[in-house]
Amino acid sequence: MAVVKEEEFEFHTGQNRPAGVPDAIQFIDVHKTFGSNQVLRGLSMGLPEGKVSMILGPSGTGKSVCIKHIVGLMYPDSGDVVVAGHSIPSLSDDDLFELRKKFGVLFQDGALFGSLNLYDNVAFPLRQHTEKGEDEIAEIVNRRLSEVGLGNANEKMPNELSGGMRKRAGFARSLVLDPEIVLFDEPDSGLDPVRTALLCELIKEVHAENGGTYVVITHDIMSARRVAEYIAVLWRGRIVEAGPSQELFESENEFVRQFLAGESSGPLGME
Amino acid sequence: MNELFALPREWLAATGEIGRFMGTVMGDVWGGRVLHFFGESLRQAGILIVSSTLVIWALMFILGLICGTEGAYFLEANGAPAYAGVFAAWCDLREIIPYAFGYMMAAKVGTGIVAELGAMRISDEIDALEVMGIDSMTFLCATRLLAAWIVLPFLYLAGMGGAFLASYIAVVQQVGFVSSGGYLLIFWEFQNPPDFLFSLIKAMVMATAIVLVGCYYGYNAGGGPVGVGTATAKSMVLNLVLVHLIGMLGTQVFWGNNPNAPIGG
Repeated sequence: MAVVKEEEFEFHTGQNRPAGVPDAIQFIDVHKTFGSNQVLRGLSMGLPEGKVSMILGPSGTGKSVCIKHIVGLMYPDSGDVVVAGHSIPSLSDDDLFELRKKFGVLFQDGALFGSLNLYDNVAFPLRQHTEKGEDEIAEIVNRRLSEVGLGNANEKMPNELSGGMRKRAGFARSLVLDPEIVLFDEPDSGLDPVRTALLCELIKEVHAENGGTYVVITHDIMSARRVAEYIAVLWRGRIVEAGPSQELFESENEFVRQFLAGESSGPLGME
Repeated sequence: MNELFALPREWLAATGEIGRFMGTVMGDVWGGRVLHFFGESLRQAGILIVSSTLVIWALMFILGLICGTEGAYFLEANGAPAYAGVFAAWCDLREIIPYAFGYMMAAKVGTGIVAELGAMRISDEIDALEVMGIDSMTFLCATRLLAAWIVLPFLYLAGMGGAFLASYIAVVQQVGFVSSGGYLLIFWEFQNPPDFLFSLIKAMVMATAIVLVGCYYGYNAGGGPVGVGTATAKSMVLNLVLVHLIGMLGTQVFWGNNPNAPIGG
């Protein structure tokens, strides 16, 4: 077990302000190390059910690693990750594949299959996991594509789409199985401010319509202000503070204040 | 001392890892797990037929010509032109054509698999499959292996027919030291049906190894586009070594004790 220096965590109160609903996802004292790089260093947090939560933090602080732990693409060196009542590291492969059908994940660049057109990409999960006929699949796919503003791009291949379109298409694909939990890995990366704002609006609208637990990983404060109902601030592999977004934006914690205000002076430097 | 053993230890570990990967993929096919994605297997089979058949057949045909030409001139020079069929028969069926098949499989199919799966890995497509609840190793690797097993026996046997035709054209039509009847009498006298089966087994073992090595390096690629390029090169090197190793062992096992011409002495 790697040594943890407690003085690095002077701003980490670990305070978890209640959101008023049970947690859909829980990290319990999770440690994860890659070589000599300790990424998660005793991470404990809960993400509330039915809300849009954001894991915010500086670059390289373990946010994407969190998503990979939630979906079981990575396992903790120690600690536990509990999703919808299931301990992810304890699940068998078959049970994990079954549980993953309840997830939708939007990867940074959409992760569309390059050999399939947009329609087939979005239809893919339905064809693999359901017995629906092609007519029903077409109805769902067209509805989801229209929802994200890509109703006329069915035949386009992923390499013909802009970055923003790929993200929206990835979003449509992540929604086709009506997932209980949708995870977004930096949906704003590589997008201009206007398209970031539009994507955030889209996330809010779709959540309002479909419900479910949404978890967004980002370091963009504007996105957090627009979308987040619950915020967990992650730094150095641990939660600094977590709670309903309004309370976090009013936090007295020096690090949280600096990060959420995007100020250059404060505990967070270039190191 | 530790440094001295570091490289062999690394090779041994890599060999074990590749072996375990291959075992898992073959287990998915033998165990029938791959049949959950039978449609994808058929799609891969179609891709294999459309994109690789002609180029594999072309190489087999050209090397069939070479076997015929070499055999005709060599045996004519040694006073036995009528026996050009012996050289052509063995060159085609036992050695050169299985190698030609292996080379083109490694160059076209093996590297294609590494590049495709590697690109999928670095663009998160494999992770996307996993989080959709799809076993990516079965979906991507076992389906390709099953597709190869469905398509390649027919492709190989048809290619072998093309190579036989090429040798015939070279010996009888082009060089012309022996009559058609004389060539075919000797040609068929020095091979029999089990030889076809042995040749097919040799080629299919090569194909299986090439597909699995391609899947291993592609599936486990990392480090961006450069990493995919490196993985492609590594897979080609390993596949060429394996093609020759399998070719040599196949010849020893299948024809080493052949009473007509024991290769094992």
